[in-house]
Amino acid sequence: MFAIETNSLSKIYSTSFGKKKVNALSDVSIKIPPGTIFGLLGPNGAGKTTFVKLLLGITYPTFGSGLLLNEPILNYTVKKRIGYLPENHKYPSYLKGRDVLRFFGRLSGMSGKSLEIKIDELLETVKLSEWGKSKVKTYSKGMMQRLGLAQSLINDPDLVFLDEPTDGVDPIGRKEIRDILIELKSKSKTIMLNSHLLSEVEMITDRVGILNKGKLLREGSVKELTEKKEEYKIRLSETEISSVESVFKNNSVTKNRDGSLSVKVDNVESLNLLIDNLRKNGILIQEIELQKSTLEEMFISLINEADSESL
Amino acid sequence: MIKNIWLITLYTFREAMARKVFLFFAFISILALLGLTLVFSVIGIDTFVDIANQSGSKGVLREVVASIQFMIINPLTGLCLLLAIFSSASFVPNMMEKGTIDLLLSKPISRDQLLLGKFCGGILVVFVNILFLVIGTWIIVSIKFSYWNFSFLYVSITITFAFAVLYSIIVLSGVVTKGSILGMMAAYFIFILLSPLLFAYFKEFRTAVENDVLKAFLDGLYYVVPKTSELTGVITANLAAGRSVTEYQPIITSLIFIILMIGFSIFLFRKKDF
Repeated sequence: MFAIETNSLSKIYSTSFGKKKVNALSDVSIKIPPGTIFGLLGPNGAGKTTFVKLLLGITYPTFGSGLLLNEPILNYTVKKRIGYLPENHKYPSYLKGRDVLRFFGRLSGMSGKSLEIKIDELLETVKLSEWGKSKVKTYSKGMMQRLGLAQSLINDPDLVFLDEPTDGVDPIGRKEIRDILIELKSKSKTIMLNSHLLSEVEMITDRVGILNKGKLLREGSVKELTEKKEEYKIRLSETEISSVESVFKNNSVTKNRDGSLSVKVDNVESLNLLIDNLRKNGILIQEIELQKSTLEEMFISLINEADSESL
Repeated sequence: MIKNIWLITLYTFREAMARKVFLFFAFISILALLGLTLVFSVIGIDTFVDIANQSGSKGVLREVVASIQFMIINPLTGLCLLLAIFSSASFVPNMMEKGTIDLLLSKPISRDQLLLGKFCGGILVVFVNILFLVIGTWIIVSIKFSYWNFSFLYVSITITFAFAVLYSIIVLSGVVTKGSILGMMAAYFIFILLSPLLFAYFKEFRTAVENDVLKAFLDGLYYVVPKTSELTGVITANLAAGRSVTEYQPIITSLIFIILMIGFSIFLFRKKDF
């Protein structure tokens, strides 16, 4: 069983009285196992929010289907086990923080003392205990995000969708939110995270999917996506390229700021041959590791590549 | 299902109470009731009550009490309806705002339940406001005349029903346009102009219309348009005086109108992308 499973999920919006069609999402098929923190990335208008809205039945798919926790996406009762923090969420300004949580808790089927205990617990978790009895119109942006996060967790969901959860939150608050997400993961909860803060996504996600213009370009673990295949970082005792030039004559080599070298090889056999040659020439190898790019670098290069292909 | 509808109803009630319009109406109601108490404390009616009691018929007294009660309540409920239309027009559009609707639809509640909850919530608000005014008037007049006309309490139901008819238009318009202006204008137009005019046509001028096509058109319009004029007028007055309703057609056609409006609203709301 997967926490999220979609099969060619697509959404076409019609504008200008049906004359113009916009492919908001095209054939997105994805399988996310339970207990995963999945980062959904993409530039503005890539289809991230549309994808989440389709899964939650807020928008209907034009084609394709999907399952959430093994139930069809249009079955609203499955939402008892789901939490959602939308981007730019709005709560009635006349309600107090506690009232907001109570309302959404009751909507999710909770009631009585267990709901009140859960509200106390969540207000504590998001550091809003002292603000629970204040009207939400007095809350700052960061406080609203914290309240939104508490709201999304009120029913102790198995699957949580978070759209820009750290938007407007200060660095300490962001760290606290990351800790909450990691704790949720430890409880085998599945989290789908939409965020523009790629460094944050990289820190906590297990897998990421990259959307661009409604299409899923890549999907995999952060490690898989950030590995630069056939490129290694080598630290030698001798770091002057000129001194080891003869050894690297068949490879592309660049010197890094930290004194190490980035070397491209054709395959693992070539790498081993290179190591043999270095050793043969008496050059000591201090460190070898597969070169990685940051998620941000990979993301930018992938989007640029996709955009240039579509031109 | 009922639990979800009730929850949305309660929170719509709360949303309404947070608005100043309903507080304003409650303030006006209190002022009206205080004014009534003051007027009754300086006007002597003992002689009249004695005569009515000596006649041996409670019917005279009941008619007089009901008429006074209706004269007091009619303009106030009219004002209440005008304010209620204004204030409730934004319930559905507010719910459909980005950031609000996303959250609501992400919860285990169906779209039908959500819209029905909003509809019932609006009605509950008006019912409570009207009930406060009706009970207040009823108590003051009944104490003054030492006659408890229980039939008068029906007024709260007929006026609320008239509001429900108008509110169903507002709900449909809210779902279609995601705004409040059109629904509000349509409700005011029907309540203030169209319904009274069609009622006057049907009762007074129908025989004067000679053109068959025009007559068929106006007849059709009369049956289609909700009859808020009769609901808040003749029917309410009859019930207040303890008389039976002589004609059920305005109630039945208005009820069908509500069902069609809300049914169509739910149909459209189910299909909407947000």
